[in-house]
Amino acid sequence: MSTFQYLTEEWRAEAERRLKAELTPDRMNHITSSMSNVYLDCPGGGTKHLLFRFVDGSLTEFTLGTGETPEAEFHITGAYDVFARISRAELGAQKALMTGQLKLKGNMIKALKLAAIADRLNKVLAGIPAAY
Amino acid sequence: MKTLDPQSPYFIDFPGRVRALQAEMAKAGIDVYLGSRLRTLSWLLDTFCPWRSFIVVPSEGLPAAFTFVIDAARVADETWLPEDRVFGFAPMGGQDQIELIADFVKDLLKGRTGRVGIESGMSNYLPEGNLTHYEFERFRDALAPSALVNAHDLVDRLSLVKDAGTIARFREASRIVDVGHAAVFEALRGGGWKGLTETEIAGLAALAMRRAGSEWEWSFTGGNEIASGYRTGLTGGACTPASRRALRAGEPLMVDIHAMFMLGLGDHSHNYLIAPASDRQLWHARNFTDIVALTLETYRAGISPSDLAEKMIGFAESRGFADYMVPGFEHGIGMMGDEWRIGMNDGPFPYWTNPDHRYRVNEVLICAMQYACPEEDIGFRYENPIVVLAEGCEELSKFPLAVDVVT
Repeated sequence: MSTFQYLTEEWRAEAERRLKAELTPDRMNHITSSMSNVYLDCPGGGTKHLLFRFVDGSLTEFTLGTGETPEAEFHITGAYDVFARISRAELGAQKALMTGQLKLKGNMIKALKLAAIADRLNKVLAGIPAAY
Repeated sequence: MKTLDPQSPYFIDFPGRVRALQAEMAKAGIDVYLGSRLRTLSWLLDTFCPWRSFIVVPSEGLPAAFTFVIDAARVADETWLPEDRVFGFAPMGGQDQIELIADFVKDLLKGRTGRVGIESGMSNYLPEGNLTHYEFERFRDALAPSALVNAHDLVDRLSLVKDAGTIARFREASRIVDVGHAAVFEALRGGGWKGLTETEIAGLAALAMRRAGSEWEWSFTGGNEIASGYRTGLTGGACTPASRRALRAGEPLMVDIHAMFMLGLGDHSHNYLIAPASDRQLWHARNFTDIVALTLETYRAGISPSDLAEKMIGFAESRGFADYMVPGFEHGIGMMGDEWRIGMNDGPFPYWTNPDHRYRVNEVLICAMQYACPEEDIGFRYENPIVVLAEGCEELSKFPLAVDVVT
């Protein structure tokens, strides 16, 4: 099985393939929303962002980039290492939020409705064999 | 969110209230208003916020409400604000109340240094909701170099005189209270009082009022306040959360009950003597009902609390019962959370009623009197929301003024 370098274009393409295959609109409760993960202190320095956009449960945009963070309903910001630990299942996303290692910007009422969906999404990403 | 219906008798123009506050903010040089008092939240949001909550009012456009996340969806469901203007805070990165609100305010300021109005002060009313010292320091640090300035007087001034919808809500809450009093009277009469405790009376009044449409017995002083025997005559006392004390023959009974209707507050006290009543007890009762009647006749726009107190204490002196009167005849009232001083914070003692405040037409207050004779274990309380009129006042509770003797 191939191993993908975390947060590279190859990793993103594999993630998109898996997300589309495993998370059907029904599994995503037909949500329309967007989320941008902002990775601080990436290897080599700098910040990266990963944008997820869902329309009626379908992933319509999934981009990796640097520079200015794109508009999204939710922004989750944290150190690269924190996201990496979440992806390796060494740290729960909830715990990372509750200990302030991740910061969420967006309306909590809606975020609570989407918490289970975000977990599903994280599980798919965690299944990608990755090098960090 | 709920839709505001201008045809409803209980309609309040909340967007108009926001615009009026924004106009006052502009005059005062306030860029953003950060409200935290329960009275401000009720007055602007039209929903009860039992948990720590805040409202951020920008210089223009809609406000945003912030409350503890466990109650945020309910607040969003009940307020007139759209769902995306209600936020829940929680102990999570970026979502604690300081960071969430400070970020929101900074977005409104668009990078400028501004003046943020806050609510600070003191109150005898425990759930007043002024910004705590800790919250102040945290917001000050998070919003630096913007300045935090105390601005509660803006809301206080605008909320002093009540609009028709607010008065209609108070009127309905008082109608409900009267239903509660009728239920208590029915329960007491014909020997029904035997074996009843104060807490049971509080409960049966609550049941009757809730059946009639009350949301809860809103008062922070223990819900419905019931006192019997010596508890009615505690020196200077005007607060009696119901106890497990059973009613007894030959004793007084004070029934002070509360209903809430759409954040309008009902608050009326009725008094009884459990037979047999002695001549001395009946003398006290006459003193009490006479001074209440005279007080109600005296209220009108233009008089002040000190004018009224002087006149009433003079009357009590002339009748020989001044020693038994607690020398205060009213307390302030507004939508849920507004239950303390009258008028603005401009009296000789900060955050207490200004004794020289001049009542204005359509101010609502609680006509409140306590008669207490501790050496004889007897006392009575009167409370009734009134609307101040140009010539007189409207008593919102219509339950007949009397000290009823029940057998």
